[in-house]
Amino acid sequence: MKRWIKFVGLGFTTLTGLASFLIVLMLAIILGNVAWHGWARLSWEFISGEPKVGMTEGGIFPAIFGTVALVLLMTLAVVPLGVAAAIYLHEYAGQDSKLVHLVRLALHNLAGVPAIVFGLFGLGFFIKFIGAGIDNALFAGQLAFGQPCILWAALTLAVLTLPTVVVATEEALRAVPRSYREVAYAAGATRWQVVRHIVLPQSVAGILTGTILAVSRGAGEVAPIMFTGAAYYLPYLPKKLNDQFMELGYHIYVMTTQSPDVEATKPILYATVLLLLVLTFALNFVAILVRSSIRRKLRAA
Amino acid sequence: MSALLEVQRFSASYGSQPALRGITLDVQEHEIFGIIGPAGSGKTTFLRCVNRLNDLVSGFDVEGTIRFRRLDIYQRDVDLAVLRTKLGMVFAVPVPLPGTIFQNLLLGQRLHGTRTDARALAEKSLRAAYLWDEVKDRLETSAFALSGGQQQRLCLARTLMLEPEILLLDEPCSGLDPISTAKIEEALVELKRELTVILVTNNVMQASRIADRTAFFLQGRLVECGATQQIFVNPVEKETRDYVSGRFG
Repeated sequence: MKRWIKFVGLGFTTLTGLASFLIVLMLAIILGNVAWHGWARLSWEFISGEPKVGMTEGGIFPAIFGTVALVLLMTLAVVPLGVAAAIYLHEYAGQDSKLVHLVRLALHNLAGVPAIVFGLFGLGFFIKFIGAGIDNALFAGQLAFGQPCILWAALTLAVLTLPTVVVATEEALRAVPRSYREVAYAAGATRWQVVRHIVLPQSVAGILTGTILAVSRGAGEVAPIMFTGAAYYLPYLPKKLNDQFMELGYHIYVMTTQSPDVEATKPILYATVLLLLVLTFALNFVAILVRSSIRRKLRAA
Repeated sequence: MSALLEVQRFSASYGSQPALRGITLDVQEHEIFGIIGPAGSGKTTFLRCVNRLNDLVSGFDVEGTIRFRRLDIYQRDVDLAVLRTKLGMVFAVPVPLPGTIFQNLLLGQRLHGTRTDARALAEKSLRAAYLWDEVKDRLETSAFALSGGQQQRLCLARTLMLEPEILLLDEPCSGLDPISTAKIEEALVELKRELTVILVTNNVMQASRIADRTAFFLQGRLVECGATQQIFVNPVEKETRDYVSGRFG
């Protein structure tokens, strides 16, 4: 009997260990494969140049630029909105109110909506409704915002990443001790002052965590921007909010599915995937650096 | 002359759970008013009603009146920011805020506007809290580096920075060693000359040591209130006698 239990235990340890190892292995295979094939094609020219000869030669600078611009715009939109919503939900609204339950329900469902649906939503809502409305009102019906562009793509991504930011921010707000708030209230603080002087400074690190998650999610999504602003090929960089743009993820999709010469595109494809991964990691890394420096400052103070 | 704080038939409840039942008492200027009673007797609830901190609890409801300098504090148009600075509170557990000792002291000024005499006021408050000598050379270091007793005295000093008229103390020595406790008690006796102290305490002996008058709470009722000497030596009610002689609680 005893030996049997021991055997089962050993087997279970092996199985769980294997499962964990498999995760590492899969990541290693992906990274290794991409790095191995992509490395050779990576050069300054590739990073700084623009695509040539039906994307079988040249570089991908427009796509890198577009991706960074897109993610920055998305962050500008989603962080203030998400943080504000989280502050309302956690600090202002009564915790038993129907509205709060409704908003939370909406957030959880929003988080479960497939990315392609966001893309269609962006097309229908931002471009056809808001954009066309702006054109009619301000541009006498001429096409300006009623078309796919970087602004609508960024806002679509912002809607997609909103739940992440709200949930992370709420988590951070919840972590601020009740006693801190009470001390401030007892010293005559108003609710806004408690948020401004006590709660927000304490939750910056958590809010940044949410931002990091949103950025890494947003930088990798293709479906939401397909209909809302990403371009197949553009010889110029986006300069205005209503310009279209190239994006790494979408560029990879295009090269994979629409290339005139698959074999010629392959090395470039690998290099582009490698760049996208590096860029996402870099964005993450910067955000993590910022967060840990803030944490250090908070702790030192 | 009317009392500084007049409480009349004051009741409070959390939802359907009554916490205070018909409390009537008054607190005079420049006294230490002790409140004793076993856990759950409503002492802390009472204290948190006086500066309306319980307003933050959803489902909390009150009845009756509390007057501070004749002002009914539960009136609709009372400015809570002003009220709460006049009735400064120190909590049971020391709650230093992240930041330096000096930044902690400046909490009130961050909320209500800075003053030019901040340094002088900080020194005065720290001296009054019997902490000045221990921290005068490290005001710019983290408040978390202080010992528990020092942290509580810092919290006392932080509250004194508001220049309150009444100090509300919620078992301020519950987690402290005897030496820190003695320092806080000394500070309170000194402070009595400038302001009024309402001291909720689990420690019956503490009330007997420093309170001028003492009230005994039991299950949300005020059982007895009188001069501390009388409460401890010659209580009227049997429940009071049992409690102060340590028979329950």
